Amino acid sequence: MIRDRIIIGFAVAVCFGTSLVAVEAQEAGAPAVKAVFEASQAAIHDAEAEVEKARVAIAKGKELLALIPEDSPLMPDVAQVVEAASENWQIAIDSLKGAKESASKVATASNDSVAGDYALLAKVNAGVALSGAQVVQIALTYIEAIATEQTESVDIIRTALQDALASSSQVQFNYERVKSLIAAKYSK
Amino acid sequence: MTKQTVKIFAASMVCAFCAAESLAAVPADAAGDLAAIATISVQAKANLSNAALGGNVDEITEAGKRSDAVDAAMAQGQDAYLSMERADQNGDQDAVASASEDLKSSLAKAVNALNGVIPDEIAQAVARQKKAPKNTGVKGRSYDVPNVYDVPWNSDRMRDFYQNHFANFWDSGIRPQDSETTPE
Repeated sequence: MIRDRIIIGFAVAVCFGTSLVAVEAQEAGAPAVKAVFEASQAAIHDAEAEVEKARVAIAKGKELLALIPEDSPLMPDVAQVVEAASENWQIAIDSLKGAKESASKVATASNDSVAGDYALLAKVNAGVALSGAQVVQIALTYIEAIATEQTESVDIIRTALQDALASSSQVQFNYERVKSLIAAKYSK
Repeated sequence: MTKQTVKIFAASMVCAFCAAESLAAVPADAAGDLAAIATISVQAKANLSNAALGGNVDEITEAGKRSDAVDAAMAQGQDAYLSMERADQNGDQDAVASASEDLKSSLAKAVNALNGVIPDEIAQAVARQKKAPKNTGVKGRSYDVPNVYDVPWNSDRMRDFYQNHFANFWDSGIRPQDSETTPE
């Protein structure tokens, strides 16, 4: 039992944390690994761009919030949206950092299989960052619609935001799935 | 143990290791594909909200159409993943490979739908989804469904999600029952 736990712990450490074994420096050699690595780099690049857009939207959102009267009937909605935006902003930042960490380990992975797994983790985590950043942008779009009194847009954006939150949680769920499937691979 | 037996044992261990590795590698990639489709779905919603803010009716309609098509592709992808898991549990590698192809195809459809290329099959799936009776009890059952109208945001999709959950629970045959109190 204890040995099993050590094996699983070791596998997880190899995959997600500091490597416990001496690793040889290598380039992402195999074509399949190279393809996943390139895809992960592109995903990180896209996520960075979306996080930057979300940052700009947040700065603008602060000004827009001041335009909404405190006695507006939509104020409770706005409070919930701000909370959702704040949570997703944190997710986007953390995931982008995680994606970059995983990508940095591809080059020093002990073999092609581990390198491929790091690249896959980086790609999917970048997806989590991207979707989180886009949820923030949609949330700020909603606030803009309320602040500028575009009442006909509010309902559409509200539904879009709810659906985006549901899809974004799917991205996060599948990232966790990828992590556990990779951990299971190394604990066999 | 003879030398021959040792060789056979070693060979079978290598085969088992290779099989296990290839078996595990498919679902990890597949879960990655599923995550990619969901990311595209979020992108479609962002496009829709931007269109809504712009106020151009044609753009809103087009963005809504693309968003629905991406969601239909996502539903197909989730079905394919489920099939893959079942096939994996049954050890049917051909079915795993076939479901993997279906999942890749769903990802391609989602990418295309986001760019406005919506295949007939997806358009029909969206039409079926829109035509399906909503919130009248899934599959026309006669029981009283719980009040799922008061979910946050009032989204049709979330409402259907909860209603389907309840329907699956009802289908399972498990019912909440009173348990006897522990005698004091």
